[in-house]
Amino acid sequence: MLPPDRFARLAALRPARKHEPVAPESTRESAAEPDALLGLLGARVKRNRYGEHLEVRQWFSRPEACAPSAPALDLLLREKPEHALDPTEWLFLDTETTGLAGGTGTYAFLVGLAWWEAGGLEVEQLFMRDHGEEHSLLLELSRRMGERRVLVTFNGKSFDWPLLETRFRMTRAIPPRLPRTHLDLLHPARQLWRLRLGSVRLRELERHVLGRDGVSLGWSRQDDIDSALIPQIYFDYLHSGRPESLVAVFRHNQMDLRGLAALAGRILALLGEPEAFARATADVLELYGLSRLLGRSGNAREARRLYERALQAGLPGEVDRAARRELAVLAKRERDYARATSLWEDLISGSNDGLEAYEQLAIYHEHHARQPTRAAEFTRRALAALGRARRAGLIEPARCRSFQARLEHRLARLARITQPPKHRSLLEPPPP
Amino acid sequence: MPHPQAVLLEAGDCLARVHDLVAQLAARDATGEVLTAVEHIPARQAEWAPMPAWVRPELVRAYCAKGIERLYTHQAAAAERVRARRNVVVVTPTASGKTICYNLPVINAVLENPDTRALYLFPTKALAQDQLAELDDLGRRLPDGFGVFTYDGDTPADARKSIRELGHLVLTNPDMLHTGILPHHTRWMRLFENLRYIVLDELHTYRGVFGSHLANVLRRLRRIARFYGSELQFICSSATIANPGELASRLIEAEVDVLDSNGAPAAEKFIIFYNPPIVNRYLGIRRSYINEASRVAQELLKRKLQTIVFANSRLHTEVLLTYLQRAHRQPPSQPEAIRGYRGGYLPSERREIERGLREGSIRGVVSTNALELGMDIGSLEAVVLAGYPGTIASTWQRAGRAGRRSGSSCAVLVASSAPLDQFIAKHPDYFFGRSPEHAFIQPDNLEILVNHLKCAAFELPLGVEEKFGEVDLPALAERLAEAGFLHRTGEHWHWTEEAYPADTISLRSVTSDNFVIIDIAGEPEVIGEVDFPSALTILHPHAIYLHQGQQYHVERLDFAEHKAYVKRVEVDYFTNAIRYTQVRVLEVAEHARVGPAPAARAYGDVLVRSQVVGFKKIKFFTHENVGAGKLELPENEMHTTAFWLTLERPLVESLPFPTSEKQNGMFGLLYALGSVATLLLMCDRGDLGTAIGERPPLSGTEAGWAVPLEEGATEQQGEFFEPNLYLYDAYPGGIGFSEPLYCRQDLLVRRTRELIAGCACERGCPSCVGPAGEKGEQAKKAALTILDELCRE
Repeated sequence: MLPPDRFARLAALRPARKHEPVAPESTRESAAEPDALLGLLGARVKRNRYGEHLEVRQWFSRPEACAPSAPALDLLLREKPEHALDPTEWLFLDTETTGLAGGTGTYAFLVGLAWWEAGGLEVEQLFMRDHGEEHSLLLELSRRMGERRVLVTFNGKSFDWPLLETRFRMTRAIPPRLPRTHLDLLHPARQLWRLRLGSVRLRELERHVLGRDGVSLGWSRQDDIDSALIPQIYFDYLHSGRPESLVAVFRHNQMDLRGLAALAGRILALLGEPEAFARATADVLELYGLSRLLGRSGNAREARRLYERALQAGLPGEVDRAARRELAVLAKRERDYARATSLWEDLISGSNDGLEAYEQLAIYHEHHARQPTRAAEFTRRALAALGRARRAGLIEPARCRSFQARLEHRLARLARITQPPKHRSLLEPPPP
Repeated sequence: MPHPQAVLLEAGDCLARVHDLVAQLAARDATGEVLTAVEHIPARQAEWAPMPAWVRPELVRAYCAKGIERLYTHQAAAAERVRARRNVVVVTPTASGKTICYNLPVINAVLENPDTRALYLFPTKALAQDQLAELDDLGRRLPDGFGVFTYDGDTPADARKSIRELGHLVLTNPDMLHTGILPHHTRWMRLFENLRYIVLDELHTYRGVFGSHLANVLRRLRRIARFYGSELQFICSSATIANPGELASRLIEAEVDVLDSNGAPAAEKFIIFYNPPIVNRYLGIRRSYINEASRVAQELLKRKLQTIVFANSRLHTEVLLTYLQRAHRQPPSQPEAIRGYRGGYLPSERREIERGLREGSIRGVVSTNALELGMDIGSLEAVVLAGYPGTIASTWQRAGRAGRRSGSSCAVLVASSAPLDQFIAKHPDYFFGRSPEHAFIQPDNLEILVNHLKCAAFELPLGVEEKFGEVDLPALAERLAEAGFLHRTGEHWHWTEEAYPADTISLRSVTSDNFVIIDIAGEPEVIGEVDFPSALTILHPHAIYLHQGQQYHVERLDFAEHKAYVKRVEVDYFTNAIRYTQVRVLEVAEHARVGPAPAARAYGDVLVRSQVVGFKKIKFFTHENVGAGKLELPENEMHTTAFWLTLERPLVESLPFPTSEKQNGMFGLLYALGSVATLLLMCDRGDLGTAIGERPPLSGTEAGWAVPLEEGATEQQGEFFEPNLYLYDAYPGGIGFSEPLYCRQDLLVRRTRELIAGCACERGCPSCVGPAGEKGEQAKKAALTILDELCRE
């Protein structure tokens, strides 16, 4: 066998970061004082056929319960199942994990669930004290998901749910229960507020969207921990057995769930009556966001009306251009070529949108207005603009190449239409 | 569309031109010392076997439609073994239809049961792309087809999901399996639950570090397959090496059947060994092999033979490209007919070159080993190898790039003055006889194994009863737990790190970080990438970096950001880095006396520190040294294993030479020992490092540091009291060369003596103890005297 100190020299064994000194026993001490953890968290032990895990339950009066409205759900969900209208079917979910990378070695050690109850929000947190409790936790989660069919998350479609699905599959015993309906509020939130806020982290939304106009949320993030520290807190707890710092993680998860529920209420209210909201809002960027969401959800008529209103109210430069572009697409889709063309013409002056605008105008003049000469002119201008963009490094080479090929193809076609082939003598010198 | 020029050339014509060249080269070789071998390999007939009766009729029809109505004997044999549920390794030369050996049984199994899944591993992405085209073509000829996809870093994110579900055959590479598939195996549940076949193509490339990594990746793969209840069967293919069966069974840790008879036909071919003429017999100097290779390539191109020139380094690729482009000037309006091809070029550039070669618009290409494997570049007519590629297997593969389909072809190996080249050039029997090359791996290299153990724990908790290689798993897992990577709960260790371990572990090298090369002459533009170990030697400040025949001066090397800033220049020289190396012994594993001589041998763990301290400027064409510079670059440090010889005081004192000549003799001896060692171990020259240092008073003590010693440093050092001559594994943790060297020390020393004694030079030359000018007047004599002592009975 290898001499023991040989291990010490392995680069692969060098810790990537500083660790809490590990207790000599190197196993958790919580077995010796199980009550410490329970008392600290106000938790109780849940048992099922796979073993046990901890559960923490708490009711909050804020945010207040709310009911989903049909018009709002129409905008948020592609399919509109009956059960989505029933607030008792809604289950909010947010996990705390051992990392953000995903993959089979990332665990959801704390699964936070919440639902409307008695006018407020009931929060239930499932926690594994070590990896051995994961099966039991997952079985409980699976039961809860069976009771309520609408899963509501914030970024859950690309993070929480795939991670949980992996966890379920790793058990080879508890099949993942696919949510019947999954409403991920990240996407509508992004469309509504990204422009205004820059980022749409839940914390930002709480501060600037949910808690504005002097309305208090009912909770404060002042002592909240940085979520980047959470995996390490759990590892330190595993290695040392000391549970104190876990309390902040549970609190953080509770606030995330309450924020999520409040956000759901806000978005439902807003989308339930977009007209009223549009009239009420003072923020033109929010108005633009709402137009965008309506446009993307297929409500073109409403979206156009709001876009026009936002443009009238005056949008800042880049957003104005973006709004005109979106509006032009909607107008074109509704065959309102006059409005679309005038919007494309507005856009020509700019750098990158200019390219698209030229191309769109070329398409319009070739296929709808049937003016190939004008179409060719716009195509040539598009090519010139493309050359400028390339030299200025404003466009990626691959995109530039495909754009150029498309434009040249169009130009060649237009040339055939505008210039009938001329029969040139073979003796004549070729054109320069 | 083939190039018009290419169409004009007929096979018969090609034959005449190859014969003409061979005749002309032979006529010029008045002394007979230049063409040391002209091997005519006659065409061989195919040996046929019928399509096995169990092959599904639709598959028989699909192959018939491709013109394949019967099989070569080795294809049929392979298909039968696979059918009999055996692991196999098929050993065949280039262009022998090896893909049918695995495609036929695998696709047949998929047609019998559409749930069946197979994973194909190719050493490079490009090879997988190549196979995809072939399998797609076959799939289109089947009524129901089958799902075949490549899965690598270039696979678009939105396509990945359907590949996981629908891919019957997933073509990927070990790196992607390691970072992209295994850590996400739950997403691949459908594949793993039905996984039956693993195809390992180009098996011989999985040796050394890469092979040792792959063996561990396969341990992880088998572990995951077991988790989903699947038993795996391996189908491997390899170029000709001495131990394909041993290599395969070490990689997959199971019994393997070796199939090494070849039923494929082959066209006539000439293999020519060209040893550049000696210009100075006193110094043993030959004409520059780069210039000679360029000349040979020009002769071939002049005869309108489409030619590929292989060089052994990026630098030489670029130098040769410059020479050939200058000799083959095109009018400015014409596209360049001679192109370069190597790793640093952008993928789009490479695809364009491959196409140009197939279509014939590109008449010549100068490449690193990047074009050695697979890659459909059509059938070239001639190959020039500028320098021996380091192994016989790779020489045959490169030579095989000519005449894959067409009639006559030739391959010319231009030997450099490196000892290995000279050995091969002077011993053609060694080359044309039965392959003596053993591919070597060390899957239980602790550094590598622990890294994969981390990945394994990430993928699936480690069980206390589990086995992973030949190590004490619980002890190692406990150490990982102490370092915070794992946490034990009950019978399992679980991963407790945020980071994703596979991301930071490269299968190809010590580090996975690349340096980006940015041209800052105008608008900053990225022109290429270079891996970390090469960066220090080719991108140091003031280096001349060559890219597509263009010279760039390195203005600045930003170590923290991994960026090199360069400006295009035109100068008449290139640069070579000077590196210092120090070795410290950490632990002696075994030691013994060397016969009755006052000398000892040992192997064990060492710490190697190296640093690039300067560079030389070498003039184009004449290759004279036209300047030098000092550099202050960060040190590199690694733990590895080494074999070393200690020359004890009485031996050193007994040498009848002045002190400086004694030292020269030691450096010369070490130089030759290093060359012979690579031959014995069948490894690349870069896999072994050499250094001389004072024997430490006690191993492991701080005073054990040797004086920095490397070529070019001789003037600064005092005399050695009792020097250690080290040959170390150039990889952290060692790759298992030290123990075999220790065991075969006698053979190593005797072969080295033969090499030096048999060399035609008078006072040492690059082919034995190193260039006489640099090594001193009596280096050769001193080295031989030391060897005589070491060989004393």
